[in-house]
Amino acid sequence: MLGRIRREAESIAINGSGIQGVQSISANYASVAQPLRNLGINSIKYAPQGPQTATLDVSNLLINTLPDSAPATSKELMQNFTGDIAFSGVVNHGTKNFIFTEGYMETYSVSCAIGQIPQVSTSSVIYGEFGTGTLANVPTDSFPSVVNIPSYSSMEINLDTFNTNRVSSFNVNIATPRLPLYAVGNDVPTGVIAGTPVEVNVNFSIEPDDYEIKNMRFVPDQTVFQNTVITLKKNNSDTTLLTYSFNDMLLTSESFQGGVDSSATVNFNLRSFILR
Amino acid sequence: MATVFYDKASVSVDWGTVGETLLASDFTVNLSSSAQPLYAIGNKGSLGQFPTSARVGDVSFNFITSLTGGHYGQRGNLINFLASGIKHSVGSMASGVTISGAGVKGIGFLNSYSFNVASNSISTSSASFTFFGSGTQLPVSGRLTDSTAVPPGGGAELATGVAHGRYTPLTTLQTTINPGGGDAQVGTVFGADYSISFNHNPIYKMGQEFPVTSLYTTAQESINVTEDIFQSGLAFDETASDYTIDLHGLDTASTEDKMQLKMISGKQVSTSMSAGLDDIVRSQKTLTASY
Repeated sequence: MLGRIRREAESIAINGSGIQGVQSISANYASVAQPLRNLGINSIKYAPQGPQTATLDVSNLLINTLPDSAPATSKELMQNFTGDIAFSGVVNHGTKNFIFTEGYMETYSVSCAIGQIPQVSTSSVIYGEFGTGTLANVPTDSFPSVVNIPSYSSMEINLDTFNTNRVSSFNVNIATPRLPLYAVGNDVPTGVIAGTPVEVNVNFSIEPDDYEIKNMRFVPDQTVFQNTVITLKKNNSDTTLLTYSFNDMLLTSESFQGGVDSSATVNFNLRSFILR
Repeated sequence: MATVFYDKASVSVDWGTVGETLLASDFTVNLSSSAQPLYAIGNKGSLGQFPTSARVGDVSFNFITSLTGGHYGQRGNLINFLASGIKHSVGSMASGVTISGAGVKGIGFLNSYSFNVASNSISTSSASFTFFGSGTQLPVSGRLTDSTAVPPGGGAELATGVAHGRYTPLTTLQTTINPGGGDAQVGTVFGADYSISFNHNPIYKMGQEFPVTSLYTTAQESINVTEDIFQSGLAFDETASDYTIDLHGLDTASTEDKMQLKMISGKQVSTSMSAGLDDIVRSQKTLTASY
């Protein structure tokens, strides 16, 4: 009988912590083995060309936070890997599993729209092992996360223009560049440097009232810098769970859409760079 | 006219009773005859173009650094064996080797040989030879034709017999700075480029176009090593060290899957560092030796 694996038999743990509210997992590698080509070629022989890496993409609802006692920078587990910390983990599917080691996050994003629970999406590169094997020396989570579900209806967005203009969705994207260092004689990096600067993009979609599209020319009196603070609160309460705060974000794009059967909408992007 | 596709244009090197087909990625042969016009008073135009020196040719090719050969007890490809033999030779008489590709061949004298090793990459080499000809023998002969004798085989396998940066640690080239006090630093080697060039002196005599023999004179050898350590204390003296390089292939369990060369009395003559955006500060040192 053919079997299949459904969501109840799938799970992912990172550094010993089970990730909750997972909506999707995507893990893949592509072999760097390439056939040698030469004048007079008469056989196919493969050799690795370039460093072997894998990628891991995880998307999960933001329904758990770390307790106040956890020694972490952010209460959102995945956001803590935007720094220079590597992670290892395992993905279980049915009776099988695969491991990954020396994972470094390259992008982190959180998004929310009206009627949704905030969702976190991450993309990481695996520089260590990927596939079969066993994990060793993986730290276990001594600070188990607790259920805390934020809601679109209980969040605060601190941006002057939103007093009269209604936000319908937002997206925060943090790109953390990595520089692996490969010495001769090794197939894993001797080190992975957390690059700088870190690029942060915040996109808003609003239904405007008196919002005014700015002049696209990059001239001093039309250049807009704004501080952005997004506060996620526990559903139907005033308890703050997470705060995304960025200073001096530059307005880099705006778009306007109007239609016969919908309200006018404006999308705009704010960008900043953070030096580590 | 001949139509020779690349899969029938293998490059071979033969010396005495040993020979090897190289994993060449390109192959270029040039043959030239220098001529100079002669002018004379009372004549308009030139009297004709007359040869001013013997016809000579040259060949150059790049190839994957193969390790599968074994020549007189030395593991590695035939080009590396030739370079090692010439630089360590005690006599000055040089015998050429037969280089052939796509039906064209000549007896060449090794001018230069180089290879590189970089992390997670296949090592590639390059070589160039000069064809002087000899006695009545032309520098280059033959015509374009298929030169692959071995028919294609089926299946696929790992390329175990090629040098690879993943399995070549080059620990002998690491820079160590030890000022004492337990503050020693050892460099991390990211790659190395090796090269050697030879000087030959063909001996010509009256009454014969091509040389009667060719003499090997000198050789210059260098290794450029890329690291993450800067040696500011270059020695201003005559000290020198030997450096042995072992190139390894994918088959780490095999003792035959390697090639070795040795720089005798090598001396570090330069060091440099460079910084660029989005990268670490890397340094490079140059070791040289002369023979």
